Amino acid sequence: MSALPAGGQVEPQRSWARRAMERLSARPGRSSVLPLAAVVIGLALAALGMFRGAPAPLTVVPPGYAALVNQKGVLLSDLITQVENATMKRFDEATPDEKRRVLHSMIDEELMVQRALLLDLPETTIEVREAMQQGVEAQVAEPYWALPPSDAELRAYYDKTRSDYTNDGTMIVHDLVMHVGGFQNTNQSTPQALSDAAEAVYRLRSGASIDYVKEHYDFVDSGRLAAIEELDFVAKMRLGDKLYEVASALGNGEISDPVLDADGVHVLAMDVRRAPSVADFAGVRDKVYQAYRRAQGERATAENVRLLRSQAQIILAPGQEE
Amino acid sequence: MDSQTKTRRNPLRRASWKWLAPVLVVAVGGGIAYAHEVRHQQWRDRLLTTLPSDVADDPALVAFARSEGAPLYAQHCAACHGADMRGNREIGAPNLADNIWLYGDGGVFEIERTILYGIRTGNSKSRSVTDMPGFGQRGVLSDGDIHSVVQYLLKLSGRQYQVEAANEGRRIYTGNANCGDCHAADARGDTYYGAPNLTVNVWNSGGTPEDLYKAIYFGQHRTMQAWFPTLSLFEIRALAVYLNAVSREPGAAARATLAARTAP
Repeated sequence: MSALPAGGQVEPQRSWARRAMERLSARPGRSSVLPLAAVVIGLALAALGMFRGAPAPLTVVPPGYAALVNQKGVLLSDLITQVENATMKRFDEATPDEKRRVLHSMIDEELMVQRALLLDLPETTIEVREAMQQGVEAQVAEPYWALPPSDAELRAYYDKTRSDYTNDGTMIVHDLVMHVGGFQNTNQSTPQALSDAAEAVYRLRSGASIDYVKEHYDFVDSGRLAAIEELDFVAKMRLGDKLYEVASALGNGEISDPVLDADGVHVLAMDVRRAPSVADFAGVRDKVYQAYRRAQGERATAENVRLLRSQAQIILAPGQEE
Repeated sequence: MDSQTKTRRNPLRRASWKWLAPVLVVAVGGGIAYAHEVRHQQWRDRLLTTLPSDVADDPALVAFARSEGAPLYAQHCAACHGADMRGNREIGAPNLADNIWLYGDGGVFEIERTILYGIRTGNSKSRSVTDMPGFGQRGVLSDGDIHSVVQYLLKLSGRQYQVEAANEGRRIYTGNANCGDCHAADARGDTYYGAPNLTVNVWNSGGTPEDLYKAIYFGQHRTMQAWFPTLSLFEIRALAVYLNAVSREPGAAARATLAARTAP
């Protein structure tokens, strides 16, 4: 016969874990035993982790890889692709020798890459740095390019960057010069030269030929510009800013007023003038589209750099803040 | 002497059973779990060490890969390609269950490459030989030209079309638009470029005349992320085998036909 506890009630069945906890809590001295034990075990594990050596190096190539080069894997998938590209055959049709040759070229490449990292080429070689930078830029730009711009966006971009679609003007211009006090006419004063030039201009505007004024007024070709069609920027470079400004304002067949420059008095006779013009949108759609895409890529890069900067710790040396 | 008295007299045995029983249960459970894990690891290794082209010949391996690949698909791929694998026209995510492939032949290896390195991710191992230019937006084709090409596409894919416009569209297709450079002269596509077959009436970004017009006018530049940094090699292989197996089920051809028939 089993004994009933006082009061005749059966004590409910309790789990062994609960009974152990109750036993521990019944002894005040042991209430902290469990946490203490946990702390000791935790510290021991941490110490073990700290002083334990690095994981043992792999001596067997893991599944999915074709080789290990200084513990860095060469993917089997990459090998298959390389073999098929190199031999123009399916992988299972390539000979063992062909596969071996490709694999060893991949191993050599991996060795070179590892060597490059060891030599810190990203730090020391501009081309490597640029390639890495371009790689990141390409990655961040791709998702942007997946979203084609609307026509309105494209046209707004064109309006904003209209100056990029300006066609260079051209000119065929004769630049005549009357040297003052130079080798041609040493006794002539500047006011006299300006007066003579004004008369020559009058003659030219009245229909006289360039040869005529050359002959009668001691004008010569300045030699700055050949009498052929030149782009505006070339004409500007050769004539100088002062004369170019006068020339670019002339129309077809027009003659300039006399212009005093460092080497004498110039007269410009414009044969043919094509002024610069902004190409209309329809004519440069493709250029606008390409420029828009480039701008998208640049915007993506800028946003990426902003994000990277927000996550980076950048400390400037004294004096570098400005 | 009753059993209670016996137990009372052997407190050590009573206590040891109390502790030993749960330990045994845990040990047996752990052993079973460990054995299962070892077996699982063996299957994983086998899946990865088998050449991709040979996996499909091993039904047990395919079954294992499918069981592993299905939850991975639900977790990582379904958001774009749909839980039923029928794709999403809004974002141009293709149907993966119809055995019609943009890149490669739909074999395990080609699917695996796409998952590994993605499509137009910016790295040179990804599928990024070319993309479809915006023929309208770049001013290569006029609105009328594009409408004509659309009519030609309707003809190619076996739908109602306007005869004269379609003839003009064919001239543009082979002429200044150079569509055949990527989609092939017979319009059956080129899986090296990721240029779809235009004759099967399967359209990743929608097949209505309006959808086709937009595709030609704005071009296509769809992307897919590279999963190499996110998933393990084993997970990628399992997904590739899973997709390959599902797309080659007997129903796949019927699904493609049905999709083509119900396409607008």
